[in-house]
Amino acid sequence: MTARHVVIIGNGPAANEAAISLRTQAPDARITIISKEPIRYYKPHLLPDLIAGKVSEQDLYVNPLEFYKENDIRLRLGQEVVHVSFATNEVVMEHKEVVRFDGLIIATGGKPRIPEPLQVFEDLMLSLKTLSDAKVWKERLRWVDSVLIVGGDLTSLSFTKAVLSLGKKVYFILHGDSFWPVRFNEELSSEVSQRLSDRGVEVISCRKILRLVMASEDSVEVETDGRKLRVGAIGAFFGLVPDVKFLARSGLAIERGIVVDEFLRTRFEGVYAAGDCAQVYHPKLRDYWVSIGYRNARNLGRVAALNLLGGQESAETAPAGIFQLDDISVNTSWWTEF
Amino acid sequence: MPKVDITVEVCGMAGDGTIAAGGLVNEAMSLGGFSVLGFDSYPAEIRGFGRCVTRSRIGSNEIGALADETHILISLDDLQSRSRVPFLARDSAVLFDSKPDTLLEEEQSLAAVVEPGTALFGIPFTYLATAATGTSRGRNLAALGGFAALFGVQPEWFRRVITRKFQSKGEKVLEVNLKSFDAGFHYALEKFADRLRPSFAAANVVAGPEKVMLSGNQAIGQAALDAGLKLYFGYPITPATPIMEFLAKYLPAKGGRVVQMEDEIASVGAVLGAFYAGARAMTATSGPGFALMTELITHGVMAEIPAVILNAQRGGPSTGLPTKTEQSDLHAAVFGGPGDSSRIVIAPSNVAECYSFTVQSFQLAEKYQTPVIVLTDFYLDNRVENVVMPVASEKEKTDGNLYPDESLQGSYHRYLDTESGVSPRSLPGMEGFAYVATGLEHTERAQPDYTPEIHTKMTGKRHRKLQYALEDLPVPVEYSDGGQLDVGIIGWGSTFGSIQEAVNMARERGWKVAALKITSIFPYHEKEIRSFMTKCREILITELNYEGQLANLIGHLHRKEVVRLNQVTGVPFSPSAIFSKIEALLQAGVS
Ligand SMILES: Cc1cc2nc3c(=O)[nH]c(=O)nc-3n(C[C@H](O)[C@H](O)[C@H](O)COP(=O)(O)OP(=O)(O)OC[C@H]3O[C@@H](n4cnc5c(N)ncnc54)[C@H](O)[C@@H]3O)c2cc1C
Repeated sequence: MTARHVVIIGNGPAANEAAISLRTQAPDARITIISKEPIRYYKPHLLPDLIAGKVSEQDLYVNPLEFYKENDIRLRLGQEVVHVSFATNEVVMEHKEVVRFDGLIIATGGKPRIPEPLQVFEDLMLSLKTLSDAKVWKERLRWVDSVLIVGGDLTSLSFTKAVLSLGKKVYFILHGDSFWPVRFNEELSSEVSQRLSDRGVEVISCRKILRLVMASEDSVEVETDGRKLRVGAIGAFFGLVPDVKFLARSGLAIERGIVVDEFLRTRFEGVYAAGDCAQVYHPKLRDYWVSIGYRNARNLGRVAALNLLGGQESAETAPAGIFQLDDISVNTSWWTEF
Repeated sequence: MPKVDITVEVCGMAGDGTIAAGGLVNEAMSLGGFSVLGFDSYPAEIRGFGRCVTRSRIGSNEIGALADETHILISLDDLQSRSRVPFLARDSAVLFDSKPDTLLEEEQSLAAVVEPGTALFGIPFTYLATAATGTSRGRNLAALGGFAALFGVQPEWFRRVITRKFQSKGEKVLEVNLKSFDAGFHYALEKFADRLRPSFAAANVVAGPEKVMLSGNQAIGQAALDAGLKLYFGYPITPATPIMEFLAKYLPAKGGRVVQMEDEIASVGAVLGAFYAGARAMTATSGPGFALMTELITHGVMAEIPAVILNAQRGGPSTGLPTKTEQSDLHAAVFGGPGDSSRIVIAPSNVAECYSFTVQSFQLAEKYQTPVIVLTDFYLDNRVENVVMPVASEKEKTDGNLYPDESLQGSYHRYLDTESGVSPRSLPGMEGFAYVATGLEHTERAQPDYTPEIHTKMTGKRHRKLQYALEDLPVPVEYSDGGQLDVGIIGWGSTFGSIQEAVNMARERGWKVAALKITSIFPYHEKEIRSFMTKCREILITELNYEGQLANLIGHLHRKEVVRLNQVTGVPFSPSAIFSKIEALLQAGVS
């Protein structure tokens, strides 16, 4: 297929890898990247280091803007897609612009997940997904001297390290389903708990958070089933859910992500999904898996691009087994250690 | 304290309130103490249709020219604003209506074409204004609210200028505008809390004496009023028409009259008639009209009758480029006319000079009994600058006529060949001082005479008085640190602001470069010009015409060929174009 205009929604590793693969394979294609974040492609895994002051914002960025010019890739930053019509092959933007496509790659990644019982407290909790989130943290950490982390996903561990390095007190409430979609088991939970305590983190065991209230401009009061404490900020770290709400009424099959086959095809012709937003069928497992992780996202982006141009590559990188993260064995294999 | 030098554009379709919004930006920033230079552009033919763009350069230091690039674009119309994208600076910002009434195609969308380095701020102007006031009329004000919030402009400055502008239109209109502004302001402050760029606040500019936004044309109109103008005769033509409109509004209240004549010949004829009778009068025109006036201007020269004629230059010969700027009437102003018909030609270079030179032109015309041509151009006439409201002193306004002594009654020689060439002039009705003002060559007693002696003598007299006029004419102004110079730039008119800026850029790099501003185009101050030229290795004359008309006039004063930098694009010179030329000249000098 010679796709005339390929629109890529997203500007993370999946999207960028897709764009450059498309350019290499289809020199004449018109390629547009659309991203709601107003900044260029950056490495999310460096966000904790940014908070810790170990790297500068400039260190985060992957490609200079000239890269897109040189490769004739139109980069549209700070522009959000709010709807896609597969009947007319149109993407509708928040500012009411309609962009037509011949091929579409959805690579919108994930967004922070807050488990349902905690959703009532959402306003009082910070998360860490974007550079903008990191800046909020950075600013907040200038004023406060303690942080409570609820959850326990992979990013929470590097984040904890960053906060500790700033000399702040860290409390931690480990949550069973932090590794969504993978569940925490007892063994892992106690292992993580131990590691955290070794580092000086106060791990609070509790089943339930009963109350969260803003006590002052820079402190929040927390009441659990066993304890009351006052902290400077609360971070929610329960992994990410695919950022696909805008597709809810589009006709795409969405479960834990956009459902795609092993070739990353959705049910609509010429429409692919890649990266953290995709739920990929794995023929060997005979099941779907939700991808997480940087390198994995890049790989899926590349596969989606090749297949969009007529290739038949399977996204078979698969859950490959146990992975070491920060000395802790985690049963999630797609995470890359940097 | 960080220096601010930011160019803001408002772009929309006619009817979007673009020009009004741009005007408010100028007023508000001026109120805040910034220097402001604004210039609007609209399509050639008629103002009511098509794209409107206002450009405002706002600085913490003095500003004399427009900049090359725009830093903030406020778009009131996506499609129209797409044409402005190539002029955006690398790290610019664009404010646009993020919730238009209808869906937009990619080909119509501004967001589709802005470069990724540009920060996009989608603000639902229409929606916010409508939600706040029930009408979308204030959407341009909602846009300004967003602008103020994002860039650290005190909302109070805007509220004051909005009140000033709309107060007279009734409480309802004022309220719609204020509420729309506030809606945009609060929306942007909240929505973009983590992306604010408070550049204007950071400059910590302190407001000095109150300034007003004045265009070149308004300054000319006001100057004519202050100078005691009695009669304005004119025929509308871009870009001079606003002067007539201004005077039509204000002159009658001062006991004067504005008369629209059948053409420019009649206009200048009536001006000569009025001055002949002792009343201050003027006309303003542009190239095509000026061409028609030529014959009667020479009549003024020959009969030694004062006249004030403003030539607002535009582009090209004939109808040319009616809404573009050029400095290509210098030859026509100085030499245009048969028979050695020299006259006084002065050219202001900024809005303040538009005022002072116009005031002065009446006295000069009276004193030297000759037409005075004030040369402006589209860019100078239409640009607005914030200036402390100029006020002419009593001395500047006094009657410049030299009347004959009573004792000469009965033996009056109207064209007495004095040492200065200026002979006392009587007015009609002065008993015993009647004479025939004639376009024929004449004797001292105003009798027609074509003998070689008389023509030689009287031609000499008419030219001599112009040389005498030099002592009253504005002298060239030198902008230099003294000492020997590698490049000296000479310029005139609206271009001078760009020259000055280019020179400043060069000086910041330690280069030996200076500028000389010439405002008295004819006669010119030969001695002062020569002394500047002597200090310079190269002389560069920069002007908006094809050949270099000032260079043709004064180039011979330099010991070697002067270098010319000319441009006929219809748009003002950019400081960087002049700077590049300086750089090239310096490099050539080194090698
Ligand atoms: C703090 C942190 C630390 C991490 N550390 C590691 C690590 O150590 N190792 C590792 O392997 N992985 C790590 N990750 C995970 C990794 O970064 C992600 O798996 C990866 O970025 C996913 O890539 P993606 O391209 O699928 O999506 P994302 O990188 O999430 O990009 C999604 C893009 O889509 C855009 N978008 C979303 N919705 C829309 C819309 N409606 N319209 C327009 N644009 C839209 C977003 O602006 C964004 O540009 C970390 C993540 C975070 C947040």
